[in-house]
Amino acid sequence: MNRPQISRPEVTETESLSDGEVHEWPKPTLFARLRREPLLPEAGAGGAPLTAVIAVISFLAVLAMASVLVINQSASKWTSELRSEITVQIKGADAAEIAAGASAALRVLEGTDGVIEATLQDEAETAALLEPWLGRGNVQAFLNIPALIEVKVTPGLRRDLDLLRNRLAAASPGATLDDHAVWHNRLATAARSGQALAFAVFLLVMAAACAISIFAARAGLAANHDIVSVLHLVGATDDFIAAEVQRRFFVLGFRGAAAGLAAALIALALAAAAFRTGIGADAFLPQFSVGGWLILWLFAVPIVTCLVTALTARLTVLKTLRQQY
Amino acid sequence: MTANGLIIDFENAGLAYGDAPETLSDVTLQLREGEFRFLTGPSGAGKTSLLKMMYLAHRPTRGRFSLFGEDATNAPREALPALRRRIGVVFQEFRLLDHLTAFENVALPMKVAGINQNQYREDVSELLNWVGLGHRMGAKPPTLSGGEQQRVALARALVSKPDLILADEPTGNVDPAMSERIMKLFVELNKLGAAVIVATHNLRLVQTLGKPVLRISDGRVSRAPGAGGAS
Ligand SMILES: Nc1ncnc2c1ncn2[C@@H]1O[C@H](COP(=O)(O)OP(=O)(O)OP(=O)(O)O)[C@@H](O)[C@H]1O
Ligand SMILES: [Mg+2]
Repeated sequence: MNRPQISRPEVTETESLSDGEVHEWPKPTLFARLRREPLLPEAGAGGAPLTAVIAVISFLAVLAMASVLVINQSASKWTSELRSEITVQIKGADAAEIAAGASAALRVLEGTDGVIEATLQDEAETAALLEPWLGRGNVQAFLNIPALIEVKVTPGLRRDLDLLRNRLAAASPGATLDDHAVWHNRLATAARSGQALAFAVFLLVMAAACAISIFAARAGLAANHDIVSVLHLVGATDDFIAAEVQRRFFVLGFRGAAAGLAAALIALALAAAAFRTGIGADAFLPQFSVGGWLILWLFAVPIVTCLVTALTARLTVLKTLRQQY
Repeated sequence: MTANGLIIDFENAGLAYGDAPETLSDVTLQLREGEFRFLTGPSGAGKTSLLKMMYLAHRPTRGRFSLFGEDATNAPREALPALRRRIGVVFQEFRLLDHLTAFENVALPMKVAGINQNQYREDVSELLNWVGLGHRMGAKPPTLSGGEQQRVALARALVSKPDLILADEPTGNVDPAMSERIMKLFVELNKLGAAVIVATHNLRLVQTLGKPVLRISDGRVSRAPGAGGAS
């Protein structure tokens, strides 16, 4: 664009309107520069309510993300434990037949490559497992309760159990091999759907963050209509105004998200403690814990939350402004 | 682009608010580089409306309008900020931002243009001193008198050294002596190269300064007879 050759007016060469002394605007300190006055004072339609809503949203998002991580970690630990274990069950007409079958099966197992450990559960142990169903003291009456051999196997053997299954059947007709496949599949499915559900909750919560941010940005623009039009008239671009709002939302969002994260971490710590002292003592269930690097994912959640908030606000402002002159 | 030297060029422009009949009709008006015009007319005649089209707050609803040689009638939204930055406006109702200090208000056009404060701090201070408000730089508009606010608005309009100065009733809130000095200031700025339009009811001052006058009545703009004529 060619600008006309106009000598720009130098105001100060003309007679001053003042007759007083000359004052100077102080250089801003570093602190003042960081804490500069926002051009849009109400860009968040009131800061405190928005901060509170973002805090709640971030709290829920952290919990949802923690669920995703806990399920993931526990399920993989759990299934890998299950995976290395198979059970051989020996049925028989009476105790002698069962004992004979069991020792035959044990010999086969000991002679098989890939078997790490094979333990015959002693009768008392098996009886204890059955007690809840049969009643204390009644167990001994069922003398033909099957023998159980817990076998730890290498992943290589675990992948192909057919040969072992055949050899067991040949050595001991009453022996059956249970690789827990059904249980394992059910567990994996449950874990996957639990994880998907938790992740869906996380996404929903993020959608709520977007919605609240659109709402607040629109309300903020409406409340600041006069200021926005002055900014336009002195030459501000839509981008400049959107950036102002975005910065404001980022600060509010950051405060809220940090508060939400803190609250969620406290809640998780309390839940973990309760779990450890309560049902967590049960050896059957795995330890629920989110440790190590995974905790960083939780810290990423509030950052994502305030980025989502700020970006949504920016886009909302740009869209709203474009509809005006 | 402004080979013809036209800063403002209206051709048969009209402005209607909503469905109401046109507030301004058949506006054909040109302002060249270095020209000065007073704008008069009874209250409600449309002085502010005409200025609003000039500073791109309203697009004409009819006709054509060019600013600095660029067609502003259909200019895309993205083209407007650059044009507006070449205009300094003293709004009739000041339009200062109440939550900012006088200093920050005056600095606003520089700030939205993305200029670093180090580059304009001295200019802004100087300008505020010069309008006699050096001692109130840190004050917010609601704590200033009407006349003081008007002078902050004046400083804000001048800080970016605009090519075109549009002043809407810039002496409405100041005493006669200050009015005269402000009007003389516009004349001085005009001598330094800026094109100037001043809307005012102050006919006494218009007469003393002897500059050409545009008169609005019945929604039409005409050259007032007598006073000044062509510049
Ligand atoms: N935003 C608006 N919407 C509808 N009508 C408007 C609007 N602004 C101004 N008007 C009308 O347009 C007419 C011209 O108004 P304008 O403000 O331009 O007058 P003016 O000459 O500046 O008056 P004054 O000397 O009192 O400032 C008036 O009748 C007014 O009611
Ligand atoms: Mg007016």
